[in-house]
Amino acid sequence: MDNLPRPGTPQEDLADRKSPALPPRQGLLTADLVALAQGGVSVILASCGAEGKPIAGIGVGARVDEAGTIRVFLTRQANLPLLKALEDGRAIAVTFSRARDHVSFQVKANGASILQACPDDTPEIARQSAVFRDELIGINLPKHVAEGFTTYDPGDLLAIEFTPEAAFVQTPGPGAGSPLSP
Amino acid sequence: MSGIRIENLRRSLEGVVASVLATCDGDGMPNVSMISQVHYVDADHVALSYQFFNKTRRNLLLTKAASVLISDPATMASHRLELEFVETRTSGPLFESMKAKLAGIASHHGMEGVFRLLGADIFRIRSIAEVPFLALQPPPLEPPLLPAVRKSICELDTCTDLDELLDLSLECLERHFGVSHSMILMVDAKERRLYTVASRGYAKSGVGFEAAFGEGVIGVAALENTPIRIGHMTSDYRYGAALADTAQRAGLLSARPAEIAFPGLASPGSQIALPIAIGKTVSGILFAEAEEVMRFGYDDEDALAVLAGYLGAMIELLREDEDDASEDAQPADTQSGTSIAAQLHQADQSVFLDHNYLIKGVAGAILWKLLREYVSTGRTDFSNRELRLDPGLRLPVHSENLEARLILLRKRLEERQAGIRIEKIARGRFRLVVESPVTLEEFAGSGGAGIPVANI
Repeated sequence: MDNLPRPGTPQEDLADRKSPALPPRQGLLTADLVALAQGGVSVILASCGAEGKPIAGIGVGARVDEAGTIRVFLTRQANLPLLKALEDGRAIAVTFSRARDHVSFQVKANGASILQACPDDTPEIARQSAVFRDELIGINLPKHVAEGFTTYDPGDLLAIEFTPEAAFVQTPGPGAGSPLSP
Repeated sequence: MSGIRIENLRRSLEGVVASVLATCDGDGMPNVSMISQVHYVDADHVALSYQFFNKTRRNLLLTKAASVLISDPATMASHRLELEFVETRTSGPLFESMKAKLAGIASHHGMEGVFRLLGADIFRIRSIAEVPFLALQPPPLEPPLLPAVRKSICELDTCTDLDELLDLSLECLERHFGVSHSMILMVDAKERRLYTVASRGYAKSGVGFEAAFGEGVIGVAALENTPIRIGHMTSDYRYGAALADTAQRAGLLSARPAEIAFPGLASPGSQIALPIAIGKTVSGILFAEAEEVMRFGYDDEDALAVLAGYLGAMIELLREDEDDASEDAQPADTQSGTSIAAQLHQADQSVFLDHNYLIKGVAGAILWKLLREYVSTGRTDFSNRELRLDPGLRLPVHSENLEARLILLRKRLEERQAGIRIEKIARGRFRLVVESPVTLEEFAGSGGAGIPVANI
C-alpha cells in the first residue's frame, strides 16, 4: 500500500553485517538487532517436543543484556507445551519481526531457562507492547485487532532466558535464513 | 483429535493477522517464522503457502511436522494446530485460490513482487488445541447466510426465462446479502472468454464487457472452475486498459480492438468470482465486489457458491430450444426517419451501426443474420431453434447458451437506441424491430477499416 514504507530485504540485512562501520556488539548480536528485538515487534517462538514434534509459541516482548543474553517475555497460559519442552531441556528458536517493513531475524540456542519476570521488566514490556500496537495500527490493522494482539495478563508473565548460539536473517525474500555472522 | 473443528475457526484463516509456523530439523533444532496464509481445505486439511525454499521448507520435507498458531482477528481466540505434511500442489483450483488470496495479502502489506506462491502445501490436521489468550468482546453477530440463500432460491424458482433469472439473481444479492455491485458473465467456450450479460450497481451496465480465461478473478475462476476471492485488491488481478495496451505494444493486436470497458468499481476493496457450473462445465461466472476490504469471507464464499450452483441448474432448466406453438401477432409497420447504416467486419464479426461499435463475435453474427433476412425478405420473427441449427452461425457445443447471446444483443441494442430492437414474443421466439430503413455493408478487415466486400 502506498502509505507503507518499502519492505526490507534479506540482502540489505546481510550487507549491513559487512559494513566497515559495524556497530558495537552485545554478544552475538549487533546493536541494531538488539534495538529491533527491544523495539516493540512481533516475538514468536518454537521448541521441539517429544518425538521431534515442533511447538509454536508467542511472546510479548524481549530484553537483551550487555553480554547478549536474551530474555523473552511470554504468558504461561498461552505457552504451556513450549514451556514443558524447555523444562525438558529442548532447544529454542525466537524470531523478531518489525511490522512496518518486515525486517526480521531469528536466534537459536540449545536450551533456555524459565524465570519469573523481574519487577523492572514490567514497564519495559508495557512500553514494547504499546509500540507494537501502534506499529500494527500503522500497517492498517483495525485498532481493536491491534489492541487484542498486544494485550496480556501481567500476572501470568514469565521470562525465558538464553544466550543465542546462532542468528539468521528472517526478512521475507530470497536469502532469508542466511546466517547473520560477522 | 479434540472436539474443535477447523470449520469453526475459518475467520482465523483469512490472513488478517499473520500466523506462526514452527518446524524442527532432524536434530530437534526448531525454526519459527510468520506465515501469511493458512488456507482452509476441508474438515481434516489446511494448506500453507510455500513462497521460498528456506529452512522451514527443508524441515517440512524432512520431518513432515509443523505446529501453527492461528488467531481470530475479531475475538483473539487462538489455536495451535499440529499438522502433518502431505503434499505440495503447484497448479489447479486450490493453488489458484491461494495465489489470488496471497496476491491480495501481499498488496496489503506492500510486498507485491516478494510474496509469490510457489506451491500450496497440504497438511493433515492431527490436533487442534485452544490457546488461552485474553479474548476480546466478540463482535456483533452478522446476519446468518443460510436464510439469505434459501430466500434467494425460492425467488429464483419463480423465473420463467433466462433474462429474468439473471436480473433477479443480482437483485437477490443486493436484497438478501447486502452486495450492491455484481455482474454475471457467460462463457464463450470456443473463444475461451466470458462476456457480461447482466450487471447491477454500476453507472454503466458494461453488458458486453469481456474477460479472457485466466484474466483477473473472473477469468481465473472460470479457468479453474473454483471460487476466487481477494480481500485486498492488487494490480495482479485488476481489469483495465493495461492488458490491451500490453498486447498492442507486443504487436499482438494491430489496432485497439472495439471493446466495452469493465463497468466495475474503480477502486474495489474486495472481489469474489464464483463458477456457474453445470456438472463439471463452467457456463458462467457470478461476480461481486465491494469497496470495503475483506468483505467476502469463507462463509460468504460458501453461500454464494450454492447460489451460483443453483443458478447453473436454473439456466439449464430454462433453455428455450423448443418453439412456442402459439401464433405470433403481426408487427405493425412503424418505419420512419433516416436510414441506419449497418456494417459487419468479418474478421471478428463486429457490427457497427452508423459507424459506432455495437457488438462482436457470435452475438454480432446473429444480428447480421437477422438483418440480412430482414433486408432481403422483410421477415421479422425468428425462433431460437432455427438460430441454434443455422450452420452459418456455427454455434459451438451444446454448452453454448444462445439465450444469453440474445440477452446480450438485446441489451446492447437497447443501450445504443439506434433504431433496432429485439423483443421477445413467446418462449423461444423473438422479433426484430427496425424503426428505419437499414443498409448493410460487409468488410473483410476489422476495426472500422477494410474493403467493402458486399453491399446488401
